[in-house]
Amino acid sequence: MSNTNPNSASWTDRHLDRDTLYRIGLYVVMYGIAIAFFVPYWRMFQLSVTPMSVITEGGFHWIPPEFTFAVWQRYLFEEPIIYQWTFNTFMIASITTLIVLVVDSMIAFSLTRLEWPGQSAVLGIIMASFMIPGYVNIIPLYTLVNNLGLMNSYWAIILPFAAGPLGVFLLVQFFRDIPEELEEAARLDGFSTLRIYARIILPLSTPILTALGLFVFIWSWNQFLWPLIVLNDDALYTLPIGVVTLRDVNALAPNIIMTSLALASLPLFIVFLLFQDKLISSVQMQAGTG
Amino acid sequence: MTNVEQSAIGGRTGAIREWLHQRSTREFLAGILFAGPYLALFTVFLLYPLLKGLYMSLFEWNFLNPAESTYVGLDNYARLLSDPAFWNALWNTLEFVLLTVPLIVVISLVLALGLNKELIGSRLLQFLYFSPYVLTVSVIALVWSRMFAQAGVGTQVLGWLFEGSPLNSELWAMPAIVIATVWWQAGFYFAVLLAARQNVPERLYQAARLDGASPWRMFRDITLPHMKNALLFVVIASTIFQFQVFGQPYLMTQGGPVGSTETLVMYLYQLGFETRELGFGAAVGYTLLLILVLVSLVNYKIVGTTDE
Repeated sequence: MSNTNPNSASWTDRHLDRDTLYRIGLYVVMYGIAIAFFVPYWRMFQLSVTPMSVITEGGFHWIPPEFTFAVWQRYLFEEPIIYQWTFNTFMIASITTLIVLVVDSMIAFSLTRLEWPGQSAVLGIIMASFMIPGYVNIIPLYTLVNNLGLMNSYWAIILPFAAGPLGVFLLVQFFRDIPEELEEAARLDGFSTLRIYARIILPLSTPILTALGLFVFIWSWNQFLWPLIVLNDDALYTLPIGVVTLRDVNALAPNIIMTSLALASLPLFIVFLLFQDKLISSVQMQAGTG
Repeated sequence: MTNVEQSAIGGRTGAIREWLHQRSTREFLAGILFAGPYLALFTVFLLYPLLKGLYMSLFEWNFLNPAESTYVGLDNYARLLSDPAFWNALWNTLEFVLLTVPLIVVISLVLALGLNKELIGSRLLQFLYFSPYVLTVSVIALVWSRMFAQAGVGTQVLGWLFEGSPLNSELWAMPAIVIATVWWQAGFYFAVLLAARQNVPERLYQAARLDGASPWRMFRDITLPHMKNALLFVVIASTIFQFQVFGQPYLMTQGGPVGSTETLVMYLYQLGFETRELGFGAAVGYTLLLILVLVSLVNYKIVGTTDE
């Protein structure tokens, strides 16, 4: 290119111009999309502070002519129902995460560090279950949970999807790469199998366990269809189900609906703010499953 | 086993063999114990319902008194194939998948390539793009119901296309649900693609720039080939996920207007939990499973042949 442009100064100028234009275009696109992405958040917040008098007048506002935090105050300090749902959701998501981390790491340890007949077949079956999306099974699962007497309990939500293939897949990959020598040295020191699992393998796997745990926690927190099926007692509702029932009784009060949605979203937003990089890398880690 | 014990039995090969045998027995037992909790959950809550579902699908299942269920053979499947509601739900689901997946791929790719450059405020941008992923589907659906209500933003922006809310239009209700879904999920796939883009060696671009390659050529000959696996992951994962769409249409349109947003999982949900036709519902579940396995196999085949 420099051959066709012996005058290098003018070449640089033109080149810089194109680069500048390109950067301006890039900013316009990226911030344009960001603004579009922000609009639903703004509407959620804005409607939550708009008084009913303004809402019933109709019309469309970006910024409400008057605002009030009365609904926020009501659900933060006067009516405990959203706290109750948050507590349920938190308990279910925490127990699910704990169970998944324990049983997944145990079987991954067993499949990679211990030898027993049939283990490759077992791994094969677990991996094949990647092809069975949870929702297709809900009818027989429902009769099962009903027969076990688990309806309307935390366990009805926790147990059915605790044995997924993703965690096993990720941990098997990770455990395989932990050097054999560490384990042999520990065995010579008289470590039992349980201590090797708990004192050597688990501590070395903290990053992947954190990533998997975050992913499972968020997935469990946000579950919708299954809790909708197995819960019908509003004291046991999770946030995703609870906000829908609030919508149903307050259909004409968007300020109440939007406040409840904002409150329901806050906990995971805080988790996300605290663990932004960890969470994003937990998503990126999954692409390895393709 | 201590050193003292070992030297005591040393030399006697039979005893050593016995020790080895013991060790493998112990390892076998430990292996089963460690695998046990997962396998118990897996068997009870995945394998058993899978077989039970196949069994149920052959009956007119009586929920309150299963012993009184009537065996009907493959009638449920025959009924399914002649049920216009099934074909409507299948068609709507395909429409949803075919609109959503390409939009997600294009938008998440644009976001990933853009944010790969040094931008002012890139952390804020990343937060905005990714954050909808941590919201639950009911928040997505209820916020966007409002966005598309008579006095909503979506209706203001797209008002020239139709009268009133798109959610009341047979033609526009599905695209409205697609837009809500893209807002919810593009960030997830953006994160995957951003990592893939950052893994492309920068020296390839430097070399290409020295050769005077245009941005388009660099995109086509460097970026795309290096991101192929990640892009395939995005296509496969989002296709399988979108096939099971439920919450958005269930909450935004209840499948309407006139069934135009009724999807397969909604159809399954109604049979199982509204009309309680569990046997027929199980047949629908199995059919959905077959469709999804087929989709995965086709996808894996594509991955397999392009990976060489």
